[in-house]
Amino acid sequence: MKPGTRASWRPEVRKGMLRWLLLCAWLLACGPAAWAEGPVVHYTRAEMLREEAPAFKPLAATVDDAALPGSWKPVELPRVIETPAASGAGKRPVVTTWLRIRLDELQGTKGGTHFYLLRWLAAGQIAVYADGQLRYRSTGSPVWNLFNHPALLLPLNLTADSPPPRTLLIRLDSLPSPEAGISSFYAGDSDSLVEMAAKRDWLAYQLPFMCSAAFLAVGLFSLAVWVVRRQPASLYLFAIALLNATRRWHFQLGPEKLIVSDAWFIWLTLNALMWQSLITHYFMQFLHGRAMPRLSRVMLGTAIVFSIITLPFASVFPSLLALRPYAHLLLIGMATVIMVVGLWHSWHSRSLDAKMLSTVFAINYAFGVYDWARLKYVVDLESYYLTPYAAMMMFGVFVIIMFRQYVGALATVEQLNSGLEASLKNRESELAASYERLREAEQRQVLSQERQRLTQDMHDGLGSSLVSALRVVEGGRLGEAEVAEVLKGCIDDLKLTIDSMEPVEADLLLLLATLRFRLGPRLAGAGISLRWEVSDVPPLDWLNPRNALHILRILQEAFTNTLKHTRATQIRVMTGAEDGYVSVTIADNGGGFDIDQAMAHGGKGLGNQQRRAQAIGAQIMLHSSAAGTVLTLRLPEKRP
Amino acid sequence: MHKECANAGTDMQPSSTPSQIHVALVEDDVHFQNAIVTAIAASPDIRLMSLASTRAQGLQSLHSAPADVLLVDLGLPDGSGIDVIRAAHEQWPTCAVMVCTAFGDEAHVLQSIEAGASGYLLKDSEPENMLHEIRSLHSGGSPISPLIARQILMRFRAAPSAAAPAAPPSVNPAPTGGEQAALSSREKEVLELITKGFTADEIARLMQVSQHTVQTYVRRIYSKLNVNSRAEAIYEARHQGILAA
Repeated sequence: MKPGTRASWRPEVRKGMLRWLLLCAWLLACGPAAWAEGPVVHYTRAEMLREEAPAFKPLAATVDDAALPGSWKPVELPRVIETPAASGAGKRPVVTTWLRIRLDELQGTKGGTHFYLLRWLAAGQIAVYADGQLRYRSTGSPVWNLFNHPALLLPLNLTADSPPPRTLLIRLDSLPSPEAGISSFYAGDSDSLVEMAAKRDWLAYQLPFMCSAAFLAVGLFSLAVWVVRRQPASLYLFAIALLNATRRWHFQLGPEKLIVSDAWFIWLTLNALMWQSLITHYFMQFLHGRAMPRLSRVMLGTAIVFSIITLPFASVFPSLLALRPYAHLLLIGMATVIMVVGLWHSWHSRSLDAKMLSTVFAINYAFGVYDWARLKYVVDLESYYLTPYAAMMMFGVFVIIMFRQYVGALATVEQLNSGLEASLKNRESELAASYERLREAEQRQVLSQERQRLTQDMHDGLGSSLVSALRVVEGGRLGEAEVAEVLKGCIDDLKLTIDSMEPVEADLLLLLATLRFRLGPRLAGAGISLRWEVSDVPPLDWLNPRNALHILRILQEAFTNTLKHTRATQIRVMTGAEDGYVSVTIADNGGGFDIDQAMAHGGKGLGNQQRRAQAIGAQIMLHSSAAGTVLTLRLPEKRP
Repeated sequence: MHKECANAGTDMQPSSTPSQIHVALVEDDVHFQNAIVTAIAASPDIRLMSLASTRAQGLQSLHSAPADVLLVDLGLPDGSGIDVIRAAHEQWPTCAVMVCTAFGDEAHVLQSIEAGASGYLLKDSEPENMLHEIRSLHSGGSPISPLIARQILMRFRAAPSAAAPAAPPSVNPAPTGGEQAALSSREKEVLELITKGFTADEIARLMQVSQHTVQTYVRRIYSKLNVNSRAEAIYEARHQGILAA
């Protein structure tokens, strides 16, 4: 049935397809296992032959095991190679260990076969012979063979149809110290052994390597953070990550040549562990916040001394190798102190980070001791090294610490922000309140000034007019018409006062217009015509209500004087501007009057005019002749 | 007599219409009432139609036949004369409303003009002046002071057409018929000259128009103020959701 047609969606078709799919999946799942099934033999016994010599014999291409000097004896695997006893000459001989295994179980099997040695440890080299022919020899320096990845996996038959060898011969050359060792091994079906080796390699080597690299990457990130933010935690993290990577170096070596000499390599990895422990101590201190300056200084001194005494010197190279276990002992002592102190303080502090770190350090410590013991062959040498996993845990803890610090920092920022917001709001309301107070104070001041102004004005004008009118009426010397005249004057006063409250906004003409509007009817009533000859003048910015009223009163007085004291029939009003002054001229065609005499006769109006002019920084020029009276008010354009 | 105040229209010839000017008065001040009543009684061309001394009476009097001129005081014992002005503007559209004020201060006057008044009467005027004002108002003139001119100029400058789009067709349009109640350049010129202190006849000379034209300008400006004020109120109400659109 073609896919896509409707029939393909019928239930029975779908069921059939599902069955097929399931079968395929099962085959895929079981396939590798099924194919992997082949004979694999675990060899835990071998025959051993031991040679001691001042130096290693050169590696031969073919070896006849029967011709080797000494006797073969059966041994159990894994096997630790005893170090040779010191001879009288002082220098201990090197050891060559031969292991012989018969592969009888493999005879007759078809297909490829492999040989898989779980681990070998020696400051030296290993070589494998199949039926007397050299099949494999290790490369690189003797030193890193202590550490490199452990397994040895090689094919036994060279082609698929050739039979596997009958005998395997293993040659292990080792320096007198430290003790060498060799594990048990497997031989048999290639696929099974390759898979087995791959699994073990992944667990023991690839996984820790990846974590170590990731840790280093995180460390570099922390360094970048430190460069920008200078937080000690970030620097600690970077240092620990870097030292960890250095320390883990010897777990990750391949068969390549080292980029440093063996001696420096040992020094580096050893010191990396030392300083890593020390910095972890400082970091824990930072986390739990309980400073131990004296202890820390002692530790720092110890670490420096340790670094100096472990410095490599070419002449003592072999004996330095011999010192390695003791250097480990010193390290373990230091780490013990750090662990105990760290645990104690962390669990007495409230820092979860410190607790986690001290705990993982303790685990590291325990695993380190275990690995050290394994190096000393106290425990089974086939088992896994544990420190790589401790390092992974450490990495995990560091990631958690970083995460918590990051999240904590975010929370702090949020808190800060909300705090800022709250304080900003407070500030705002405070500001608003103080502004309100200020505004009220200003208002009060304005009101008080206004009151003063009006009081003064009432006192000079309206008040005195009313009082004098009252006196006159009381004296009975005035007729109704005259009283009405006085009252009209009062009302005019009042109107001008009210007008002055309206802001004229620097417009002098508007002020004059208002005056004309108010006084015009009275002048007209008295038969005086007005010639309005005003022209535009610059604005007077200082023209507030107070000053406006002064000007109004001065000019009002001028008009009143003309009305009262002259027989004028015409008044001209002119404006002009020159030399920073604005002038208002009021000229009448009346007979004029004697100014001095008017002043002498208690000319209150003239005095008031002068006083008001002074108050606004203006000048009044009064000129009276038979032709008429001219009053000029000179107002400054600008006032300070 | 040659009057020198800026009352546009003060120099108008007395109304030549044969019929009398019918005046209604809403005023609680007995003395001023008497002054008006006496003055009107002495003039054959003006007749007092009704007399009210409270806001309620004033509103009531609007139900009778419309007067030509309504005189209203703002400070009535039972409320504001503004209400009477507003109602008169609606019910007596042909009537010219005049507000009676002691000082002619622009706060009171502008408020009244916005409510629909066309002029104001200073209470301390001579009786013959008052009659003159009534006649002048009836013939289309409107008094204006420099400060009021200034205020109006400022108002139209601040929001020349803010309320114009919201002006509904139901609102009685300004006499110009324009729904956009902005000042024309001539109207603005008149107002500016008034703020400089020139009288109506001086302005007529300066602008080379008749005095009557100047008077109609002022009356029209007042109408625009009234229209704008009402449009604004409606716009505001609509804006606040009081009035359904």
